[in-house]
Amino acid sequence: MTLKECYTAMGGDYDEVMGRLRSEKLVQKFVLKFLNDGSYQLLLDSLAAGDRDEAFRAAHTIKGVCANLAFNTLLASSEELTEALREGKPPQPGEEELVARVKTDYERTRQAIQAYQEGAGG
Amino acid sequence: MKNKTTRFLTTSLIGVALLCVCVFSIFAVHMSNQSALTINKVGTLYMYNMSQQTSIHFESIIALQMNQLRTLTGTIPSDAVHTDRALQEELIAQAKARDFSYLGFYASDGTLEMLYGSQLTVTDPEPFLNSLRADQQKVAIGTNARGEKVILLGMPSPHPPTAEHNCAALVAGLPVSYISDNLSLEENRERAYSYIIRKDGSFVIRAADAYRNNYFERVKVMYEDVNGLTPEEYIEALTTAMAEGKDYSNEFTMEGERYHLYSTRLPYSEWYLITFMPYGAMDSIVNGFSREWGALTVLSGVVILGALLLVFYKYFGLTRQQLRQVEEARQSAEAARKEAEHANRAKSEFLSNMSHDIRTPMNAIVGMTAIATANLDSPQQVKNCLKKITLSSKHLLGLINDVLDMSKIESGKMTLNVDQVSLREVVDSIVSICQPQVKAKRQLFDVFIHDISTENVLCDSVRLNQVLLNLLSNAIKFTPEGGEIHMALYEEASPKGEDYVRIHIQVKDNGIGMSEEFQKHIFDSFAREDSARVHRTEGTGLGMAITKYIVVDAMGGSIEMNSRQGGGTEFNVTLDMEKALVMEEDMILPNWNMLVVDDDRQLCESTVSALNSIGVNAEWTLDGESAVEMVVKRHRRGDEYQIILLDWKLPGMDGIATAHRIRQELGDKVPILLISAYDWGEIEGKAREAGVTGFISKPLFKSTLFNSLRQFADLPEVEEEETVCERCRDLTGKRILLAEDNELNWEIANELLSAEGLVLDWAENGQLCVEMFQKSPAGYYDAILMDVRMPVMGGYEATQVIRTLDRPDRDLPIIAMTADAFAEDVKRSFDCGMNAHIAKPIDVGDVMRLLAKFIK
Repeated sequence: MTLKECYTAMGGDYDEVMGRLRSEKLVQKFVLKFLNDGSYQLLLDSLAAGDRDEAFRAAHTIKGVCANLAFNTLLASSEELTEALREGKPPQPGEEELVARVKTDYERTRQAIQAYQEGAGG
Repeated sequence: MKNKTTRFLTTSLIGVALLCVCVFSIFAVHMSNQSALTINKVGTLYMYNMSQQTSIHFESIIALQMNQLRTLTGTIPSDAVHTDRALQEELIAQAKARDFSYLGFYASDGTLEMLYGSQLTVTDPEPFLNSLRADQQKVAIGTNARGEKVILLGMPSPHPPTAEHNCAALVAGLPVSYISDNLSLEENRERAYSYIIRKDGSFVIRAADAYRNNYFERVKVMYEDVNGLTPEEYIEALTTAMAEGKDYSNEFTMEGERYHLYSTRLPYSEWYLITFMPYGAMDSIVNGFSREWGALTVLSGVVILGALLLVFYKYFGLTRQQLRQVEEARQSAEAARKEAEHANRAKSEFLSNMSHDIRTPMNAIVGMTAIATANLDSPQQVKNCLKKITLSSKHLLGLINDVLDMSKIESGKMTLNVDQVSLREVVDSIVSICQPQVKAKRQLFDVFIHDISTENVLCDSVRLNQVLLNLLSNAIKFTPEGGEIHMALYEEASPKGEDYVRIHIQVKDNGIGMSEEFQKHIFDSFAREDSARVHRTEGTGLGMAITKYIVVDAMGGSIEMNSRQGGGTEFNVTLDMEKALVMEEDMILPNWNMLVVDDDRQLCESTVSALNSIGVNAEWTLDGESAVEMVVKRHRRGDEYQIILLDWKLPGMDGIATAHRIRQELGDKVPILLISAYDWGEIEGKAREAGVTGFISKPLFKSTLFNSLRQFADLPEVEEEETVCERCRDLTGKRILLAEDNELNWEIANELLSAEGLVLDWAENGQLCVEMFQKSPAGYYDAILMDVRMPVMGGYEATQVIRTLDRPDRDLPIIAMTADAFAEDVKRSFDCGMNAHIAKPIDVGDVMRLLAKFIK
């Protein structure tokens, strides 16, 4: 599995990230590091704890990272969640679904990266 | 209500007027009675005084004469005998000296012995004699031999009567006229006159008009009425008063005239003075006064009535006005209600339209997603679906943005982010955005720039874009296939001063136009012409309301419209924009000879003048044929054009054909550039084949021309991409503090920026960032890149803290780097002291450009 295929699998834009980072090696480095990033766990934890502010920040960070890495699918869902959680806003009806979508998209991204990792490693 | 008020007012007016008349009438009658009473009182008082005076006068006259007489009697010796001749002589002499007309001795038995003068008879000797005997001085009346009345003065003798003489008194006589003259009884004092009468009514002295001998007879004949008494009763009353010695006063009528009479007893006598005064004298005074009173009363009555009338009239007017106002208020309330209903209806219509409009792309998205899901195996179909989904999403996003903008406008929250804007960039981007739609509808789209000398202005580029996009997309939307759309920009001096420039933007189409009715409402929210012609056309009906708000309310400009149903629409936007204070690069090109070929004369002229201003000698012509001629002519002279600009679309021979001909004539030396408002991808191959060197895109700003032409001059290449690189090198070794809470993001940024030669330090949050900055020596960091959302302390707060530190380098450039890219976020980062704002994902070019801009 190539890095490009990995991007296709997760719904990212390989060309975009290459345009920005310019070297496949760099992209690979950051993509692999993505799974170590604690923001997703922070998001889940703070949502579970009902800390909306912290959850907002976590979602916001995920959004920023995804934007940098052109993980566009996860970017879209995390962006929506960010807006839903933006400070001061009361919980909205569709929020659960948004969280579920972020989870799905994250899972998809994670699987794609893991598949790539195994491919690259193996 | 109106009639009720009027009736009430009229009734009360009449009532008050009547009351007024009554009160004043009673007042007048009372006054008149009072004045009659007053006349009576004053008359009585006056008459009393007059009588008293006359009486005193009478007394003094009598007293004088009595004294004379007493002096006379004093000369008589006590033993004298009245028959003594010598004594008689003596008395006569003295009496004559004292002007007595008669003198005689009055004996106790009542015989009067005259010393001189004719024999006199005492008219009523009894009381006279009694008084004299009682040693009292007395006056009485008598008659002489001729029957004339004579006033008799009786002075009792100082010597008691003896046997030899019985002389009781000395009697002197005076003519009646003496008294009446001295008392001036007949003199006209306010037409008053007096009689002196005796108890029985006989006259002692009478006024000339009374010819009878007795006053009472006169009364009986002449008096018509004595204050309610008959003459007889009056006489009786008068006689009684006389008998009792009292004064008497009354009024009577004689010969139609009212008189006042006053009777008083005269001293030294049994006589009574009766004084008369006609009422008229007093009456005229009091009546005059009373008339004045009456007139005054009537006058004041009239004045008060008038005032009342005025007050009522005014009040009436006021009431009517109030009623009118109430009516007006009611009408305006009604109008407001209708308007509110209308607005409400418009909103519900809008909602139903919106739900329709939102549903349409949503349906497409949902449907296309379903189709794509069902056809996952066929990438072609999926791709097709995705394309449609993208289009629909974009449309949906547009709708939502419009609604958001509108709600911002309606809540007054729309603000401008004024920044330096290049009109060229704005127009370029608009043109490239509109190009695909124009092409799809095969419309002719022409952008025309008249001498714009100030390309850089201060403006909100997003909003300006929005305005232009709205106008253009409407023009495209409402112009059928194959129609024409023109956009023109021109500049003039602004009335706001030298620092401003007035930009006119004209967007004109030959589309379906608008009905006059709709033109009135075009700038209203939720307005959309609802007719069969346009029902198909999508939109929120908010575009023009937003446009107008931005142009007029936010930017202070004006927007005008000129449209005819079926005859196209023209919008003219006028904006006064502040000139941006940027050092415009010196745009100077070599002293070339250039030829501009375009069928639009204005474009030729403005392009030539723009070229002249950057140092090029340019000529122009309107068609390909003449262009070839001019080129050939110059070629023969050996004075070639260095560059030729050709419009693609020309009448007759088009740009490509012309280029071909010119190449045939000149060979490959001279660059030929094709001017095109369109994406030249389709014609590029053909054009290159024909010998076209390159393309230049409309609109032709000065900078467009300069940037396109400079490559043909031997100028250092400063293309934008390279500018960045060139400046990157300048930034090598610059130290940047990067505040970013996410390690991955930090690593990416570090990787990318280190590659550009920057040295980066990482602060995990705002707090750390501030601390690291504080600990560093002044000037250690050249700039800070600041994430906004960080734990502990966010980027806004950190910036504010840094800006207030007591350090010489506290003003170092701070650039926000965040995934929030809303206009509000950008504004907020400026508000809290940041120099610039970059949206994630990181674009190295942007970051480097900004750093280069802000690092000194």
